[in-house]
Amino acid sequence: MEETAKQPNHGAIVVFKPSGQVVEVQIGTLLSDAAVEAGLSLNLPCGGQGRCGRCRVKVEHGDVSHRSAARLTTAERQEGWALGCQAVIKGDAVIFVPEQEQVEIEFVTKTVGAERIALAADFKGEVDPSVRRAYVAITPPSLDDQTTDWDRLLRALSLEHGIREVGANLATLRDLARDLREAEWSVTAVLDMGDPERDTCARPRLIDLLPGDQTGRCYGVAIDIGTTSNVVYLVDLVRGKVIDRASAYSGQIQAGEDVISRIVFAQKRDGLNRLQKMVLKTLNGLLEELTSRNQIPASQISKAVVAGNTTMIQLFLALDPKTIREMPFIPTIGQPMAVTAEELGLAINPRATVDCLPVVGAYVGADITAGVLASGMHETDALTLFIDVGTNGEIVLGNRDWLITCACSAGPAFEGSGVRHGMRATAGAIEEVWIDARTYEPTYETIGNLPARGIAGSGMIGLLADMFITGIVDKAGKIARDLPTPRVRVGDHGGEYVVVWANQSGIGTDIVINEVDIENLLRTKGAIYAGFTVLVQSVGVELADVEQVFIAGAFGQYINIEKAIHIGLLPDMPWDRFHYLGNTSALGAFHSLVSRAMRHEVFEIAQKMTYLELSADNTFYDRFMSALFLPHTDITAFPSVMRLLKEREG
Amino acid sequence: MPVTVEIPKERWTGSIREVTLGATAEQGGTRAKTVTVGGETTLPFLHFEGEMPHTPIVGIEVQDSYPADWSPVLLAAWGDVLNDPAAWAKKAEEIGADVIMLKVRGADADGNATSPEQAAAVIQSVLQATGLPIIVRGPGQAELDNKLLVAVAEAAPGERLALGLCEDKNYRTIVAAALAHDHLVVASSPIDVNLAKQLNILISDMRLPLERVLMDPTTGALGYGIEYSYSVMERLRVAALTGDGMTQQPMVCFVGEESWRQKESRTAEGVPAEWGDIEKRGITWEIATATALLESGADIVVLRHPETVDVVHETISKLMAH
Repeated sequence: MEETAKQPNHGAIVVFKPSGQVVEVQIGTLLSDAAVEAGLSLNLPCGGQGRCGRCRVKVEHGDVSHRSAARLTTAERQEGWALGCQAVIKGDAVIFVPEQEQVEIEFVTKTVGAERIALAADFKGEVDPSVRRAYVAITPPSLDDQTTDWDRLLRALSLEHGIREVGANLATLRDLARDLREAEWSVTAVLDMGDPERDTCARPRLIDLLPGDQTGRCYGVAIDIGTTSNVVYLVDLVRGKVIDRASAYSGQIQAGEDVISRIVFAQKRDGLNRLQKMVLKTLNGLLEELTSRNQIPASQISKAVVAGNTTMIQLFLALDPKTIREMPFIPTIGQPMAVTAEELGLAINPRATVDCLPVVGAYVGADITAGVLASGMHETDALTLFIDVGTNGEIVLGNRDWLITCACSAGPAFEGSGVRHGMRATAGAIEEVWIDARTYEPTYETIGNLPARGIAGSGMIGLLADMFITGIVDKAGKIARDLPTPRVRVGDHGGEYVVVWANQSGIGTDIVINEVDIENLLRTKGAIYAGFTVLVQSVGVELADVEQVFIAGAFGQYINIEKAIHIGLLPDMPWDRFHYLGNTSALGAFHSLVSRAMRHEVFEIAQKMTYLELSADNTFYDRFMSALFLPHTDITAFPSVMRLLKEREG
Repeated sequence: MPVTVEIPKERWTGSIREVTLGATAEQGGTRAKTVTVGGETTLPFLHFEGEMPHTPIVGIEVQDSYPADWSPVLLAAWGDVLNDPAAWAKKAEEIGADVIMLKVRGADADGNATSPEQAAAVIQSVLQATGLPIIVRGPGQAELDNKLLVAVAEAAPGERLALGLCEDKNYRTIVAAALAHDHLVVASSPIDVNLAKQLNILISDMRLPLERVLMDPTTGALGYGIEYSYSVMERLRVAALTGDGMTQQPMVCFVGEESWRQKESRTAEGVPAEWGDIEKRGITWEIATATALLESGADIVVLRHPETVDVVHETISKLMAH
């Protein structure tokens, strides 16, 4: 509900401090919108719903009204604090914007407990990209041969390479006469041959005309648009190799940390376009990094293949994702048609094709279809469970004969939200914790060996597992308050355990985990585990029948398998059945980029997958409730944990 | 032509645990007799299919101070004994209670808070007034329950009282009191199969034998969620009979409290004439609720009105006849 234009004739001058930007906006404008107009970035972690309270600004002078100030105390309101996403400008104002939390680009590297399958960065199959380079030495025109430039080029392509029915757009034609003559009629045509298997009318399309013989090189990019981080692979299309890769946190994080918040943000004034600009800014920054580091001009990048979850794909294409969030949860398109880089504003050759991989449902996107392709589970006889743990836990079960998939709303606890001292896996985050069973003293490791600033998702799993195994929390996640250690105490949110004392922490206060945090963690792991159980039950098999578990996704590789089993996040089975695959979404995009056969396979994977909508499944709630326990209400499903607890009891 | 119909029988693998309330002198208590519930090997009253070795029983609710908030129908039916928990318990025994359910309200009608010493004194006077086993419930707020029920447990060591409500919030304290002074607990969880099961696991983890745990699944009255109560109790019972060891507890339902709570059982004026006589209406409400919950697996129904007690006893004996 926008409140703009109520008093269209009245403007207000808003000064933002400390930067000093001044902007004139209409009365009734949201403060966060005014900040955008002033060119400031104000983080809206919940997408502007007024729920997270992290976009607070201080009104030093002037008048604003509050739609909601639920996240502010009375004292804070009296001091002038307001929520940027909820405060409406009523007149001239001076606003102080506190320093915004910066997301740091730093990735952890440790893995524990399961074998990592080295998914080759080189493609092993037949390299056959849709982009092709063809060198032609064209006979120049004369008074005797009056064939047009275009027909002359076509004739040469047909005679020398058998390439026929080539199309081109007007911009290419406008440059044609000059390009041919400047190159003295020796040119390399860069063509996108299309995908005849998917589109029988596909015609080769001329992307670029380069002087001389430049067939020895040809480039493309594979892009993975994650909710949290974006990755671009620069690919040599001649050899089918990844030349370089670059990644960064998504520029959209300031507009919400999870997909739902982004969808909410997209409904704001100009929100959809702003989100599309944010993702393009991140991707173009990565492209700039790659092209300059490798000294390859952006115009030489002739193709982009894009994977990402359904919402990310729709935001990339600026397709309003509203219906993804509303019952009955319908995406706009499953297999988006190819578009040109120019239409989107992606900084590669403007005439290059941008090909988004297919999505299966509202919450099972191209990251999963690409992931299945990269994992090879669709070609194996072994019953395979593929999981991608993030804000949404996406799960695929199947083998060469069938695939079934679902997504469970796990919530962002593992990514740091909803947990008091939770944080992303950046510098100073606790990534591993062990607790001494006798003294209840913790040992931990932080990223970068820096003083601890908070707890990363992997650290939370380790922490909760050891708190459970050492008896600091019971099976319901409640903290035993009678233990002989000062680390267990009662705080504002019930019982809590001090992981790091203030004098050793990097934030000047104790780092704790409390019972409310644990409830959120239980809900997250419970939703994921319930997803497994509903999926296997829907096809009439048992979790124990699963022969291999592939763990995909950036977060997945930092999960300690043993501890994840202790808390009932992963099913209790021999560790050698678990395999980390890393970023299968980017890998699937890469494979689809270098091989048309692989590209066709993703399409078939998407067609073959049965999508189970959990909100329409009446057993999910029951399974979820039963998973809200450590490790699970049905302890017999966790024999290794049962043994461990028995040993503990002596 | 005569047709032989064979009624199909379910082959259950599990059974309900037997739980005994109260202890006689030679068992370390002072009760004239004990009462055992549970032991079923089939769904309620399906005598052709399995055993139901113990008849479901009726408890009568007694409060530690005058229940000014009760329906006028109940106040009239009990009269003066409401001022004296010992006399009230004695009368309840005469009327036909199998067990007494003593509720410690936490405060008297004037709002004076009940001290742990007062709670201890009340249980001792009720123990002297009746030879029946006793279920004791606190006011239903975790902190206060802990304080009062621990005092009650200490004041009646070895009596095998059933202490409640024992919930996820306070189970550690209540179970510890039951372990220390040789009592039972009433494990209470908000009408969900998994939550009920989880609480039993937590209690059992504290080493209280499950033979000393009754389960209160938190039930609604007729018109106030009884269908859902029925369904969850039935699912609990089916889980128990299929061998799930953590759901095999006998169930106790506080029927009187639920069915005398709402307007239909309390209000004589300003309601449609078709609703009929308030007294008959309130009693019928309690009977209907009790009967439905017995059919869904209740082993103990705790009632409030003397007339209900008669009718429910009769219903149970008819259902048990085979």
